[in-house]
Amino acid sequence: MKNLVRSAFVFLAIGLAIYAGVYWMAERLVYATGRSNPLFKIETAARTDYDWVILNASHAMTLDFADFNASMERQTGLSILNLASTGSGPLYNRFVLEHFVRQHKAKHLLYVVDEFGFRSADWNEGRFADAKLLRRTPLNSAIARSLVHYSRDEGVTPLAVLDYLTGFSKINNRERFLRDQWEGEAQFDRVYRPSPPVLKKRIDYLYPPLVAPELVSRYLAEFADLIALAQQHGMTVVLIEMPVPAQFQTARPQDPTFAAAIARLVSDRALTYHDFSAALPDARYYFDTDHLNRSGVTAFFEQQLKSVLLATPATN
Amino acid sequence: MVFTSLEFFVFLPLALLGFALLPGRWRWTWLLLASWVFYGATRPSSLVYLGAVTIAVYALGWAIERAAGGRRVALLIAGVVGLAGSLVAFKFYNFAAGEFERLVGGGFALPRLGAAAPAGFSFYVFSALSYLVDIFVRRIPGKQGAVDVALYLAFFPKILAGPIERAPSFLSQLGSRVPADPASIVLGLQLIGWGLFKKVAIADNLAPLVDHNFAIAAFAAPIELLISVYFFAFQIYCDFSGYTDIAIGIALLFGIRLMENFRRPYLARNTAEFWGQRWHISLGRWFRDYLYIPLGGSRAGLPRQYANTMIVFLVSGLWHAGLGYGVGWTFIVWGALNGFYQWVGLATRPLWRRLGEAWPRIAQSGPLVVLRVVITFHLIAITWVFFRAKSIGDAWMILKKIGTKLPDIPSLITSYPFTAEHAFGAAMITLLLVLEIFDERKSVFARLAAAPVVVRWSAYYLVIFGLLILGRWQVKEFIYMQF
Repeated sequence: MKNLVRSAFVFLAIGLAIYAGVYWMAERLVYATGRSNPLFKIETAARTDYDWVILNASHAMTLDFADFNASMERQTGLSILNLASTGSGPLYNRFVLEHFVRQHKAKHLLYVVDEFGFRSADWNEGRFADAKLLRRTPLNSAIARSLVHYSRDEGVTPLAVLDYLTGFSKINNRERFLRDQWEGEAQFDRVYRPSPPVLKKRIDYLYPPLVAPELVSRYLAEFADLIALAQQHGMTVVLIEMPVPAQFQTARPQDPTFAAAIARLVSDRALTYHDFSAALPDARYYFDTDHLNRSGVTAFFEQQLKSVLLATPATN
Repeated sequence: MVFTSLEFFVFLPLALLGFALLPGRWRWTWLLLASWVFYGATRPSSLVYLGAVTIAVYALGWAIERAAGGRRVALLIAGVVGLAGSLVAFKFYNFAAGEFERLVGGGFALPRLGAAAPAGFSFYVFSALSYLVDIFVRRIPGKQGAVDVALYLAFFPKILAGPIERAPSFLSQLGSRVPADPASIVLGLQLIGWGLFKKVAIADNLAPLVDHNFAIAAFAAPIELLISVYFFAFQIYCDFSGYTDIAIGIALLFGIRLMENFRRPYLARNTAEFWGQRWHISLGRWFRDYLYIPLGGSRAGLPRQYANTMIVFLVSGLWHAGLGYGVGWTFIVWGALNGFYQWVGLATRPLWRRLGEAWPRIAQSGPLVVLRVVITFHLIAITWVFFRAKSIGDAWMILKKIGTKLPDIPSLITSYPFTAEHAFGAAMITLLLVLEIFDERKSVFARLAAAPVVVRWSAYYLVIFGLLILGRWQVKEFIYMQF
């Protein structure tokens, strides 16, 4: 029996040592292949102070496709850090911003408002447990502590914490040798050919029936917290709506209550708000149902965004 | 709850701990409660079906034991009709109603069954049927303990996808003594590890490519379809046998031996050997004992033997309908094709025997054995196309596309842009086949047991870290547990 226990202990110890080695290699690969994960961007940011930080879901990610962010920086002379991530609502974005402000500063926050991000837990609590995000998130004690807090107080599944701490999604990452790049970026130069069935599928995906209307209020409150956090750290907050094709604009549900709530927030918090959703209605500016392609991003930047970035005065 | 979920990895140690700590007489009750928790965890309403079947079978078992003559037969018939009828209704009513409406036309509409059958229903209904028949033919006494009968049906390692264990062997193991010796525990853990590897590292990594090409069969290139057919043959094998290995392994941890369900099926030398001795053995034996033999088997003349064989395979086709790929006529074709193979085997058996006697050395020669194995594999792979395809039309189109391009396959292979996924799938299949060829001569587990500790532990670490690094843990279901 004593031998059996000793053997089991040795087996476990060797196993843990191998695990530690595998974990270390997986972590190295996160750094070797990292690119679009917002927490990776914060960890590897070239500077501590930025003029602008951009937050939202995939619609804002297009501003960083194919080094477009660097191009915006060159053209404006501003430093910009795009921390958008796929499918993320205000709760996940608040988590990202909290991590950003720990060691970095920014003069402005550009938040791309997307109503869909306020309608479902999938785009909020659900994002924390998404293996695609976890497998590219560097190991960091502050992120771990923050995740524990979100799990305890914000309804994020403890499995997300377990996954992050054990590094399971990194070790198990099938794309471990590939660059961290959202599949949309590979289509950046594509031009979308409108398709009603595809549009319907996309709308159904982004805007499932609202099963719990109180969720919208909850995520609006989270959003207000996010804005308060940004303002506490001296950021001027600008809210914008990204351009979408005319078909998408018509097909997506429009909730007047949500628009009113955002308007109230803008007024209460003295924010700047620009609705650019109808700025580029033509489908040729998009690579799919609702994401700007290269010419769309270029046109949007030159016609609208550039002036917003250059004209917004800093709080301090 | 499924074997690959995190919940299960919490559940199993707790179930084992409670089992080990409790006194002998309470252990089976604990195991029954654990089984119900396991089964009801995903869909609590499933317990209603399981409870109904358990109560009905237990009561009928007692009644059959006490009854005599015609009443005894009537009770058995009532049980068989009730159980088989519920299975047929759940599986086919909605499909049959749709087909009937299509036939009648004119907007005629039949009501539909609102409830879907719970996972594993066909498996425990088959166990229940065999229990009743075994009491009827007095293989086992009808006066069984309620906990024992309930555990026989609900035992969590096997409830979702078998093996379809027989009551005599299962119930005889339920004593107060727990016979799980260290060797059984080690073997159980080895089986769990290897079963998980087959499921998450092989089957689930082959699945995306197979799913993609079968979904777009009309547009896929013949070479892609050919690869998908090969990959599917191994996907379904690793998925199902992986489940079985895990089930048998877990049962061993509780000191219960479940029957072998797979014996390296793709090394079979003919389709009779494949179905009779190597693939889903527990189902094959169930059909043999409770359908083929009662129909007269091979004792009622050659025409009846042919008819009985075809009946068994057609019923097997019906039973397989709905296993992950919907209910459709493809499963009838799949059963009929396999039945046809058995007919050809029966018809040519005397010829092969005479040839074997005339040239015994050639019959046993390595190249001929390999050729037979390869031919058998391809015959079975053709049937899998009907199993997997969305419709008979799709299956036929896939076979036609591959068939017409068969002479060009060597040149297509050299020019095809294979991806890392193809290479990985092929490597996993090669690893599996190499291990199975070794296993055919002497059990790999027995080899491991005799190997030095460095080799043994290296193998364990390879499997464990292979699971962690290569496994697709996001896939939550096994193909065979979906009905």
